[in-house]
Amino acid sequence: MKSADDQSAYRRRERRLAFLFVLPSLAVFILFMFYPLLYTLYLSFFKWNMVSPKMKFVALDNYVNLLTDPVTVTIAENTLLYIVILVLFNFLLPYVLAFVNTFLMKKGKYIYKTLLFSSSLIALVVGAILFQWIFNPVSGPVGAIADAVGVALPAWSKTPGLVILVISLVAVYKAFGYNFLILLSGMNSVPEELIEAAKLEKAPNSNIFTKIVVPLTSSTAVYILIMTIVQGLQYVFTPIKVLTQGGPNDASSNIIYQGYDYAFTFYETGMSAALAIITMLIFLVLLYLEFRFVEKGVYYEN
Amino acid sequence: MYSIEFKNVIKRFGKNEVIKGLNLSIRKGERLILLGSSGCGKSTILRMISGLETISSGELYLNGKLANDMDPGDRGIGMVFQNYALFPHMTVEKNIAYGLRIHRIPEKEIADRVKKAVTILNLDGLEQRLPRELSGGQRQRVALARALVKQADFFLLDEPLSNLDAQLRGKARKELVRIHEMYGQTMIYVTHDQIEAMTVGQRIAVINDGRIQMLDTPHEVYRRPANLFVAKFIGSPSMNVFDGQTAAGTMRLNDTALPLTPGWAEKVGTAGAEKLLAGVRPEDITLTAEPEEGAVPVTVQYHEDYGSRVGYYFTINGEEVISIMRDDVLQGCRQAYWKPNPGALHFFDAATERNIGYPEEAAE
Amino acid sequence: MKINSSEIKWHLLFIILVLLLIYPLLFSLSTSFKTMSEAFQSSSLIPADPTFSAYDRVFTTINFVQILSNTFIIAALVTIFKLVTSVFAAYAFVFFHFKGKTALYFLLISTIFIPFTVTMIPNYITLSKVGFVDSIYGVALPQLADATGIFLLRQYMKGIPMSLMEVAELERASHLTRLRTIVVPLIRPAILSIGIIFFINSWNEYVWPAIMIKSEVNYTLSLALQMFVSSEGGTDVPVAMAVATLTMLLPLGLYAVCQKFIIGTFAQSGIKG
Repeated sequence: MKSADDQSAYRRRERRLAFLFVLPSLAVFILFMFYPLLYTLYLSFFKWNMVSPKMKFVALDNYVNLLTDPVTVTIAENTLLYIVILVLFNFLLPYVLAFVNTFLMKKGKYIYKTLLFSSSLIALVVGAILFQWIFNPVSGPVGAIADAVGVALPAWSKTPGLVILVISLVAVYKAFGYNFLILLSGMNSVPEELIEAAKLEKAPNSNIFTKIVVPLTSSTAVYILIMTIVQGLQYVFTPIKVLTQGGPNDASSNIIYQGYDYAFTFYETGMSAALAIITMLIFLVLLYLEFRFVEKGVYYEN
Repeated sequence: MYSIEFKNVIKRFGKNEVIKGLNLSIRKGERLILLGSSGCGKSTILRMISGLETISSGELYLNGKLANDMDPGDRGIGMVFQNYALFPHMTVEKNIAYGLRIHRIPEKEIADRVKKAVTILNLDGLEQRLPRELSGGQRQRVALARALVKQADFFLLDEPLSNLDAQLRGKARKELVRIHEMYGQTMIYVTHDQIEAMTVGQRIAVINDGRIQMLDTPHEVYRRPANLFVAKFIGSPSMNVFDGQTAAGTMRLNDTALPLTPGWAEKVGTAGAEKLLAGVRPEDITLTAEPEEGAVPVTVQYHEDYGSRVGYYFTINGEEVISIMRDDVLQGCRQAYWKPNPGALHFFDAATERNIGYPEEAAE
Repeated sequence: MKINSSEIKWHLLFIILVLLLIYPLLFSLSTSFKTMSEAFQSSSLIPADPTFSAYDRVFTTINFVQILSNTFIIAALVTIFKLVTSVFAAYAFVFFHFKGKTALYFLLISTIFIPFTVTMIPNYITLSKVGFVDSIYGVALPQLADATGIFLLRQYMKGIPMSLMEVAELERASHLTRLRTIVVPLIRPAILSIGIIFFINSWNEYVWPAIMIKSEVNYTLSLALQMFVSSEGGTDVPVAMAVATLTMLLPLGLYAVCQKFIIGTFAQSGIKG
């Protein structure tokens, strides 16, 4: 049923204007986000090399190939390792530190967020190059320290596992200060009196954190946790591409880099598209989980 | 021709009907108060006049013209918001002249109009200040000035004094009346404060649950409340209401039969109500320590000394009743005699909550 | 400043963290002033024999001015276009009422969760069709589809009291007038810092330049940096560090100047609503 509210010429004019205001953004998003999304979905059902005029419809072959390819197992394992390291350094550590900074420190604590944030402004390529030399086993300072304590730093870029750690550190360098800042502002939703009351009861800090702070900051925390995964996996793309190209033997590749590699190294658009769609679905599941959590969180935080 | 006319206006927010068939005619140049507690719909009525809120059904006429679909900007509205809505980044002068500049009124005339408003509202010398550099009272006057310089037909005020402290509010009430008398626009004033309503309004529309409960002068609204809601809403402390069992020209109060005047006896007898409620304002009574003829013996349970007056609490027909006297007439005595002043009784039909009316002799 | 003794351990912890995060910057700065042989032999933060030779080599080995101006032009284009479109879109999401407003808003915002691998092939194809491969426009255009500006500006605009806009509506001020006289002046600091953030992000962007740019004349700083990297080592470390230092200079400089605004705006970006 159309109510009188919608029929007035004034409201109609307003709606038309609203559309004009959204149009430039919408056009850009349709052109460079929504249309590509659909096109990639389409491409994932074809075998194509991006230049040939012929595209071969292969139905779900690309997905089946991906799921049966042993490389995919490596990629999945690597991706999980990236996620574990990123969550540890870019979520858990800043979360605890934000708690410490907010409730266990009083004087002179505000300077830290400003200083820690500075590294978030540095380009990932710059970070990649800096870490490459800092971890250089021959001339870098980390190698020198390792030497001093009698350990030989292996060539990290040739060592599976270690290569993922060093590359992850580039993403940690990029996101740590930002995540700390956001988690810090999330701490504002915890009433100071609750903490004071718990301190009067001589509750240990670990207890205050898990029993009071975590429940009350869950929506910010879940947001940062998910951004850590979604953005982190894309952040490490740059150091992988610049430093290792996924090597040695795919030991540093992840779900994002592999998608890029399929497209622009092997020109297998179908495989790339299928992997991208799978990646997106995983991210969207995370987004859905976030919505569920945040809705619960609203109850807590208001 | 009325200045503003609502005909069967309904306003819904989603499925929720907040204004339920409003009929209201406002005269040109009058000061009309929309009085009610929060959520009663009074602000919605004001916002429908301004066009900031649309009308779901029914008709709204402004100066005789159907205004349902008129742009808010075409209605000739000067409005004062509860939070004043001053632009924080503009000086007092820029705030006051904001609308005039949008309408491209010549700068010379803008200067004249602003000067006049500034003088009338005692804002001289503050023209170049920013809102944050002003006191609450000054901000409120800037908001008034901005609504006035427009010289619009309608002057709408939404709780304009609620952010002021009590002292300033008294002063601002008088000032509002003075300004209205100078500019003479039709003024619609929304408030939840009955003192403001009584002192500023020429007529008051008491609103509850999306309906006008009564529309009349402050005097009538207080003296002749149209229904139980108005009776209890106006006056502080509110009117005492209790079971009004009448029989053979008397009203039973606790164990006493209080004789009614012949006029009341007839009125009550012909009211046709199955059950009546009686109402007496706390101050419309006499209370004595000594027995008096036609007085009801009561036991005072509690008393409060307000300094200028004293309130006594006791029970009549099962309801807690408060009575207010100028002096502590009982001096600690618990046994007292209570008698409503003649002509200060009100009777309501318990089923419809309507006032049954007053006998001839009670007319003033 | 007096500090409670029990807090000292926490301060120590934070100081160590700050040093860890600042160290790479100092490392880069110091190495850029070292000679090539010193860079390989010593990891001391103080160059034994400070020299500008690495910076000289920056200008001789790559067309630094060209690369700098490419990066700047792209960042400026992206910033201006994204700011303007985001301001208008955010305004519509806050101050207009239309059907599907919330759904459209969440649709746009959810694109933050779409990985770039989903859009890269079609965007590459689209841009190659209009001849923007190996062009700075090809780098700039895909960056415009970014919803963070809309999200942030909407947050700030929601903070503007509705009554201010209603005053303007009663004066028959058009929406453009309301935008110009009320909204933009009131959130100017936010617009500026969001602009700075856009600029820095585009300045630092690597993915799209890496996909779109082929020839050195169109390189951005990110791509130029890549020229000094090889996993085998044996490259010119001081020059790499000099370019890295030059690349960091602008973001860190902007941050030093308007650190309060930037921190405040970023802090907003994690808050829901």
